Amino acid sequence: MQFTLAQGIVKAAALLGAGLCMGMGALGPGVGEGFVAGKACEGIARSPENASLITRTMLVGQAVSESTGIYSLVIALLLIFSTG
Amino acid sequence: MVFSVEYIQIASYLGAGICVGIGAVTTGIGSGIIAGEGALAIMKQPKANEQIFRTMLIGQAAAQTAGIFALVVSMLLMYGGFDVVEGGWFRAAALLAAGISMGIGSLGPSLGAGYSGGQACKSIARMPKESNAIMGNMLIGQALAQTSAIFALVVSLLLLYSVPNQPAGISIGRIILKSMALLGAGFSIGFGTIGPGAGIGFVAGKANDMMGRFPKEKPKIMRTMFLGAAVSESTAIYSLVVAFLLIFAV
Repeated sequence: MQFTLAQGIVKAAALLGAGLCMGMGALGPGVGEGFVAGKACEGIARSPENASLITRTMLVGQAVSESTGIYSLVIALLLIFSTG
Repeated sequence: MVFSVEYIQIASYLGAGICVGIGAVTTGIGSGIIAGEGALAIMKQPKANEQIFRTMLIGQAAAQTAGIFALVVSMLLMYGGFDVVEGGWFRAAALLAAGISMGIGSLGPSLGAGYSGGQACKSIARMPKESNAIMGNMLIGQALAQTSAIFALVVSLLLLYSVPNQPAGISIGRIILKSMALLGAGFSIGFGTIGPGAGIGFVAGKANDMMGRFPKEKPKIMRTMFLGAAVSESTAIYSLVVAFLLIFAV
């Protein structure tokens, strides 16, 4: 597969962008989900009888927090496979 | 543009500097957090000073892991003998990306391991009887936080050892494309580990803290810690997948 210089630079920018996108995009969900789970540990220790309720809330909250990570993954895959 | 071996040397020395420079930042902060909490804990509970001191030292050693990974990668970059002119721009980009990957990749995990160790010292001061359980949980939590640093190390080593030399006679467009893809792989896994590393460290820290307050609830606390840490790890795995795609599928 051979490229002209301009095509190569366009695709190169897309690939560098894909790396930066997934990298930075993983920052927020990772910290956020960890914070949720930390607070859930605290909650379950303080009131163990509500463990199942707290676990459910933790998982739902983490799923919402995960969404931006998945957006980044989708954009990174689009940049790798369908641009340039 | 005539390629000479100096371009590869520039990339590898720059990569080595970035790697251990950025990698040392939070390794220092993390160990400092543990020592600070350890000192405070001994002040509150001088009778338990042996357990607290031991936990502090073991926790600091575990928090240094990612910094040691960064040191190893930068030594390899300087003395690994990668600076052969046949490598071309591909090799130059791969060496710089290896440094970026491990350097930025050790930021989150060391911070997380530091928080976890600090909370463990605090917790032992509150409940010295449970010191073994708390220290065990601290080590498990720190190991979970370090997984993402290991992802960064794997990507760095792949960039060092499994990127082929630049084939002769390919177009400049193709050269720029592949070089940027390799740099992108380094950025992806580097930044991608910050969040999961720090997040899992926070989970483990809270679990250690609560184990000292409510020792009877240990199984439930550990279960929640594992579940939450696994979900938090997912974005690091996405970053790893994107980095592999950029290295091998482009």
